[in-house]
Amino acid sequence: MVAIDLAVTPVREANQRIRALAAEGHDIDILNPDARHHIGVGLVTPTSVRIHGSAGYFCAGLSDGARFEVDNNVGWAVGDNMHRGSVVVGGNASAIAGVAIRGAEIVIRGNMGSRAGQVMKAGTLCCAGNASFLAGYMMYGGRIIILGDSGERVGEDMTGGTIYVAGRIVSLGADARETDLPAQERLEILEFLDRYGISFHGSLSRIENAGTKLRYGTPEPRSRPQPYDRGDEGGAATGYWNRRVREDIAIKAQIGRYRIRGYGASKPMPDFGDIDFARDVEKGLAHPDPLAAVSLETTVGSRSGAKPLGLSMPVMIAPMSYGALSRSMKIALAVASRLSGVAENTGEGGMLDRQREEADQLIYQCLSGRLGWNVHNMQRADAIEFYASQGAKPGLGGQLMAKKVTPDLAAMRGIPQGIDLRSPSRHPDVLGADDLVIKIEEFREATAYRLPIGLKMGAGRVQHDIKIAYKDGFDYVALDGVQGGTGAASTEVLENVGIPTLAAIQEAMDGLKEIDAGNDMDIVLMGGIKDGVDVVKALALGARACAMGTSLLIAAGCIACMQCHVGACPVGIATQDPDHEQRLEVRTAAEKIHRYLETVRWQIAALTLGLGHTDVRQLGRSDLVALTPEAAALTGLPYVPKRAATAA
Amino acid sequence: MSDPIAGADGRDFLPPACQTACPVGTDVPSYAAFVWEGRFDQAIEAITATNPFSAICGRVCDAPCECACRRGAADGAVAIRGLKRFVLDRLGASYRLPPVPVTRSETIGIVGAGPAGLTAAHDLARAGFRVDVYEATDRPGGMMVWGIPRFRLPEGVIAQDIDRLLAHCPGITLHANQALGRDFTLADLKSRHDAVLLAIGLSKGKPLGIPGDGLAGVVDGVSLLARVNRGERPQLPSSVVVVGGGDVAMDAARTARRMPGVESVRIVYRRTLEELPARGDEVQGALAEGIEFVCQVQPVAVAAEGEGGLTLHCVKTEPGEREGDGRRRPQPVPGSEHALSAGLVIAAVGQEAHNAELAGLRLLNGGRVTADASSLRTADPKVLAAGDGAFGGSSIVEAMHQGHKAAYTIGAMLDGCADPAPYRTPYRNRRVAVAQAPAWESTPRQEAAFRGLGTDPSTFTEVEATFDEETARREASRCFRCDAETGSANTSLRAREGVMAMAHTPTGDAAAQSMLLRRRLGAARPVRRQDLAATLDDLLFLPANLTRLVIDPYREQCGTAIRLGGAVALGTPFIVSGFDGAPESLRAALGRALAEAGSAYLGRQALGEAPWLQIVGADDTPAPAASLWIFAQADRAAAAKGKGRPVGLLASADTLNDTIEAAVECAADLILIDAAGASVDPRAELTHPPAISLLKDTVDRLLRHRRLGAIDLVFHGGVRTGSDGAKLIALGASAVALGVAAHIAAGTRLEDANPFADGAQPADASAAAVASLIRALTAEASMMARCCGKTKLHNLEPEDLRALSVAASVATGVPLPGRGVTGDPAAPTGAPVAGNAGGIAAELRI
Repeated sequence: MVAIDLAVTPVREANQRIRALAAEGHDIDILNPDARHHIGVGLVTPTSVRIHGSAGYFCAGLSDGARFEVDNNVGWAVGDNMHRGSVVVGGNASAIAGVAIRGAEIVIRGNMGSRAGQVMKAGTLCCAGNASFLAGYMMYGGRIIILGDSGERVGEDMTGGTIYVAGRIVSLGADARETDLPAQERLEILEFLDRYGISFHGSLSRIENAGTKLRYGTPEPRSRPQPYDRGDEGGAATGYWNRRVREDIAIKAQIGRYRIRGYGASKPMPDFGDIDFARDVEKGLAHPDPLAAVSLETTVGSRSGAKPLGLSMPVMIAPMSYGALSRSMKIALAVASRLSGVAENTGEGGMLDRQREEADQLIYQCLSGRLGWNVHNMQRADAIEFYASQGAKPGLGGQLMAKKVTPDLAAMRGIPQGIDLRSPSRHPDVLGADDLVIKIEEFREATAYRLPIGLKMGAGRVQHDIKIAYKDGFDYVALDGVQGGTGAASTEVLENVGIPTLAAIQEAMDGLKEIDAGNDMDIVLMGGIKDGVDVVKALALGARACAMGTSLLIAAGCIACMQCHVGACPVGIATQDPDHEQRLEVRTAAEKIHRYLETVRWQIAALTLGLGHTDVRQLGRSDLVALTPEAAALTGLPYVPKRAATAA
Repeated sequence: MSDPIAGADGRDFLPPACQTACPVGTDVPSYAAFVWEGRFDQAIEAITATNPFSAICGRVCDAPCECACRRGAADGAVAIRGLKRFVLDRLGASYRLPPVPVTRSETIGIVGAGPAGLTAAHDLARAGFRVDVYEATDRPGGMMVWGIPRFRLPEGVIAQDIDRLLAHCPGITLHANQALGRDFTLADLKSRHDAVLLAIGLSKGKPLGIPGDGLAGVVDGVSLLARVNRGERPQLPSSVVVVGGGDVAMDAARTARRMPGVESVRIVYRRTLEELPARGDEVQGALAEGIEFVCQVQPVAVAAEGEGGLTLHCVKTEPGEREGDGRRRPQPVPGSEHALSAGLVIAAVGQEAHNAELAGLRLLNGGRVTADASSLRTADPKVLAAGDGAFGGSSIVEAMHQGHKAAYTIGAMLDGCADPAPYRTPYRNRRVAVAQAPAWESTPRQEAAFRGLGTDPSTFTEVEATFDEETARREASRCFRCDAETGSANTSLRAREGVMAMAHTPTGDAAAQSMLLRRRLGAARPVRRQDLAATLDDLLFLPANLTRLVIDPYREQCGTAIRLGGAVALGTPFIVSGFDGAPESLRAALGRALAEAGSAYLGRQALGEAPWLQIVGADDTPAPAASLWIFAQADRAAAAKGKGRPVGLLASADTLNDTIEAAVECAADLILIDAAGASVDPRAELTHPPAISLLKDTVDRLLRHRRLGAIDLVFHGGVRTGSDGAKLIALGASAVALGVAAHIAAGTRLEDANPFADGAQPADASAAAVASLIRALTAEASMMARCCGKTKLHNLEPEDLRALSVAASVATGVPLPGRGVTGDPAAPTGAPVAGNAGGIAAELRI
């Protein structure tokens, strides 16, 4: 037993010592914890940690296998995402105790705060006292045992798992119902309680998902998209009430709800095509070897002193999940990222081993549902990205239709298979910017401050949001305009929520300038970027790098049918159906993506050179002009309308 | 990326891979789409537009389109040839094109009535020329008649195309049994005609070129096929060996297989099976019919053996050095000499042109007519040459391409253009809607039934069946529609093809990269039109992120209830109008459905149980059954105040200002803004987008009177989606009325004189559909609010919006994002260097 006194040892150092001591086989006593946050975060070695006092936020968070005992109380999110191991709290726990646990046992001898067990996947959360409101909110699996009263709306929108309540059920949440308790389950609960020395002889109510919301009702008829007609291709009547609009109304009249599709905003809106280069770039195009003449290497995310991502050019692969995309496609992207020296991104839903092996640099994304999220993958990632929202559906959570929620995928994400998966719209443990600071610190603790932590954000009030991101200490922001794609979202959200990528970068730069942020927080811009021409324009407007998603899918053979949500992708890219997935040959797809990326590289180099620079970081606003009044208004670039007819 | 092509309708398009792979530029995706739609008459038009031998191609085209088909890399190319066959089988026999009159005085003589010659004749006749076609045999068709066995290409199919062609082109005179050199000379033709085209084909099979190839039991494949196609069924030896790997070899072998007496047929080929130049399905057909392939074996001599038998002396080969065409030259393997026995050896190792007259004129060289590949001109300025006879063995469709090209060149020549621009295959796209087939992604390639030898091989049963209609439509629905604009303006067809071109450009090839980038930078881009009216499409919501909290719980629930005029409680702000003239059954059903959905009806007549917002016309009286009265005349509204119902006024573009003033004056509870017309008429709504600026004008004016919020605004016009409704609510509306959208849901036909005539769906179904739409739109609107961080729909405000166009910004007072949000909204900060920047600044001063 080795003691660490937090009165003299900062938590960051203490956590390092805990790991080292655990590796040597020691048990640990934490003295004078003084409700400090992040105690024990990132510990993945089985050991015993006894906290003599109260712990703050995220005690034992992002850990696996250790046994924690806390003499008094804990702050919120005790045992966050804990895999195996246990936490026994002698007193009370604050909100979201046992959030996102994946197998751990959390025992609270006193009462617990609201939203306990939110998005938990497996394991047991036990509260000997009373629970506050929304216990088991959106839980996917595991069990919650409440020996006191349940609190209001217990089991709200739970998808899987079971909640047992010995006291009063104050009220049931939406889509939760009470059922009989099988004798076997009661025996298992008693065994558990006995193991933790809790004496119980009363009766228990059992609560489970009522199954009314797990799948959408009337299936949406499958259809291929009509071309977007803004009204300038025919008479006004055919334009405004065109075939696409009529079809849309007819389908909604049939299904009585919003529709879903893949891809991003489909309507025309200002984009990089609405701005042009200020000078003739012929010099770059005629150069025999622009790649040798221009420096393209780019780092992203060095602000905090973490090891930044090192990119061979200012390009990344946009986050796209295994789930939305097939395993084969994710591997092809990883291979291509290695071949082209850029970073791949897991998107939501976890990290594939093969993806990790193939990608030299891999960003691991954390979403609100904590699907496929775990400390081990964090520790083998090259950067962590905290997803606040995305361009395609900001303000809402992710969606994955049942056909894609295969047993393999469900196991990886820790959810029941075959549900229409709708991820939460916000993180359980981040209700505001201040929480976010503490959350990021948890990530840094779990990864020993080695990795850049980025923020993925859909573009809304960017000018203000970017200041918060800066103040929250992110190493970089991945900024996604409304043109950004997705595997499934409401058609109306896709078309109508968020601002164009072109406006987003401008607002970001203006916002950072207002707080004199300098250039130390990198902006990675994404959302509708199609080639090196777009990348150069984005860089000139201030982006550090660009990420491409949809374009890479097209490079691999996507035909833009926009039916990604159906799960029957005709070319094997956006599917989990083995018959369809086999249509995509990993090596061929990877080569195509690689060739596409190399063409992007050549274009960036040639255009940078053509604009008179030898380094992409020399690109600036003076390299650009606006071709439309809208683009001029969005960017403040000089308006040169006469070039519009022939511009890129 | 293909170059964009100007379409017939003036819009450009990028011809898809299948179309550019087709030598005659067939509009494949359009005809596939027509097949799906069951519009076979239009399919046959698309097919035959550039292909006078469509029925024949439906049977035997080598279909380079299928090799190019992008679905080929996924789960098998679309069976394009099979679709063509289906359409021609269906309509070909009766398909006729109107006769084309002769309008030109010049005439053209064409030697050879094969696909190249007849295609040229066809094009020239359509251009008004008189054309004389001289055919050495007794019938037109060339190798289509003589070289392809009838079990693949039945007699009637050939006749169908040729009859159609000749009937369409009366200016063509066919001279059968007229051979160049035998019946006339080239000089004769030159004196008779203004131009001459030599399309003599490759009629003579090449000998094996090894010792013994002249022995009695050695024949050439072309001759054998010609005999059989003439109707002969010669008794052949039991064992046949065919030497060669091309289409003639396959046809000869399969023909031999069907001849009386034949028990075994072997194909000897010097390269590997994978390298066979023959079309894949011919090889498959041969295999299925029991023909044996002996690959990587090269004959070196033929010798007589016993009574009528032959010994084919062979060596084995292995792949050697790569040759110019990329294939590896077969190298004899030392010590591998061996012999094969056969009763008959068929040489199918290539063909050559044969004409003593042309040889004498030095126009024939190495078995081909000497001509320039680009201009098709021979040494004689009046004589051109085309087809296999000039440029070597190819396919029917390639020969047709040459025929088109020859006709183009001759036409230009006779028009006095000595040096015309090089011929370009014409590409056209008929812009057919994409097939809406269920499970189009999963449907595997449909294969027509293979019949093989049939019960009596010598009768030449056709080897393959034709798709039935259902199969054809299913197969047609598999088309990826690489020609069609995508459903996304943001990922347009051009953008998609641009990315694909990048993915196919070799890494490190600077010239290719430079060319690609040049093309990208040089491409004209569609410029957003500045004269389009402001519509709701040009408004976007600002989502919650960090500065505004995202809403939790995550589901779509959001408060949508309203109390119109302070009294009419509704569950949704989406109400319905425009059903005053509907049949009573529909009105009753719709009334029930709207009441159940928490909605209301806006109109001059009550609608069953639905809360009724009565529009009180000049001749109407306020009804006690109504929940609210809306008047067109201010004095009547004023008079109705205090009579137990909230009172509203109807405003349109023409009356807006006066109506608002009157509404303020009489303390009205509600203003109904008709942005579509003046009488809340869905037919008016159908004709143009709504004037959304009316809402802003109303809000501004009420704000000046400090009455904003005290008077409910109901907006009618152009609401299609929940987002449209949410935007109007954000801009100040309390409720929005659906007219056209409700009619679309109900299945009525607003365009017709009587929208409710027979054909509309049953009343209950229509009513349920409208209620479903209300629910869907309400949910969508809620979702917009939730995305913006609101838990009540009516908490949306103008500040939650951004405009995408200057026009929308001016119409609604909503700023553009980016620089438009902050700083001086009057102008972009950059100094304008040209154009009407002052104008923009003025427009943006909002």
